[in-house]
Amino acid sequence: MTDTQWPRYEVFKQDNPKKPHEAVGSVHAPDAELALQNARDVFVRRPSAVSLWVVKADNIFTMTREELEANPDFWLKISKAAGTPTTFHLFTKTSQRRSMTFVRHAGQIEAVTPELALREAIESGRFDADDVWVWWVVADEQLIRSGEDDIDTLFAPALDKTYRQQSHYGFVSPRRQKHGRQEK
Amino acid sequence: MNQAIQQILTQKLLALADDELILAHRNSEWIGHAPILEEDIALANIAQDELGHANIWYELHQALTDDDPDELAFFREAAQFRNVQLVELPRGDWAFTMLRQYLFDAYELLLLDLLQHGRYQPLAQACAKVRNEEIYHLRHTSSWIKRLGLGTEESNRRTQAALDELWPFAQQLFVPLPGESILVDEKIVPNLGRLHESWLERVRPFLTAANLIIPTNQTPPTKNRSDHTNHLTTLLGDMQKVARLNREAVW
Repeated sequence: MTDTQWPRYEVFKQDNPKKPHEAVGSVHAPDAELALQNARDVFVRRPSAVSLWVVKADNIFTMTREELEANPDFWLKISKAAGTPTTFHLFTKTSQRRSMTFVRHAGQIEAVTPELALREAIESGRFDADDVWVWWVVADEQLIRSGEDDIDTLFAPALDKTYRQQSHYGFVSPRRQKHGRQEK
Repeated sequence: MNQAIQQILTQKLLALADDELILAHRNSEWIGHAPILEEDIALANIAQDELGHANIWYELHQALTDDDPDELAFFREAAQFRNVQLVELPRGDWAFTMLRQYLFDAYELLLLDLLQHGRYQPLAQACAKVRNEEIYHLRHTSSWIKRLGLGTEESNRRTQAALDELWPFAQQLFVPLPGESILVDEKIVPNLGRLHESWLERVRPFLTAANLIIPTNQTPPTKNRSDHTNHLTTLLGDMQKVARLNREAVW
């Protein structure tokens, strides 16, 4: 049977301009434009956001701590590719505490390949590599981003919605009514 | 506001609200049935937005008449609804639903662009919020019509069939209510004739570029918003059923 599933795109959401983009999950879509739209519908209909990035899952180079430990000579196999360096984004998972978010944007590196970008990232000391459980490396040109112009139409309408958070439903609980807490 | 203006304005608000309510219900019928999960969520989202818009127009209507929006939605008979027939047609296939939503979104966005500068402040002010959501709806449905029209032989065929059926129905959106010219003269609502021209200028080249042929029949099946197909009766039977089980129930 042929695979009729559309490609998977990973979605990164930025809650406000001071926070990094965080991976929030994935969507399927026939192309990048619809992936961005689907990401909006699936992940930011209610929560706050100022920016969304999507990237095709195939275009992410990933490496876990376990994989690095199991392959200590991984770095030896990387060919020193020649070419013009381009920008790669580094995403890292540094905590096991939150189950919902996976990796978050940690910075960028100029390199020729994603493998070399990762090596450079670890050796540079800029990324607290000892704390990292998972690395994702994505070439800048593979990231599809929402723009400034999208804020009003993609993200702002969510702010006026009544049922924004699950906790909203708590306000009509019988306990609140019994104890006479005023509803809005 | 003099009585003649207020009377026709309440009719206009009811027509706007009924269009959105019935369209929202038709779209909501896709919940759990859309071709993929992401689209299921997207269309449910659009349906909910349209329902929200309906509520805004019903509340403006209520401010003038005291009519309770829930009463209007759940306890009127089909003949009392003032929606166009376009929105009451059964949801059809995915191409039909997307195309109907696209034709409606293109109309609504152009309407809101002009309504927000109208002289009746409560109506003009309500448009800003609704407009941002409509920009997104149109982006979503445009993306889909482009892909369906230019996609496979089957997707093009289905979308063309939907266009052939929907095109005359869509023209009813541009038929003014009897007496609506008073509101136009007062600069409360835009002239629908001119809005129609802007709409045609927008949707014709877009649909043509999506490899679709614009039907020649541009005569709406009716010019009277009191006329409905039997589909509306069926739809209301479903939509109003629970509310009518117990009129006194508190939700």
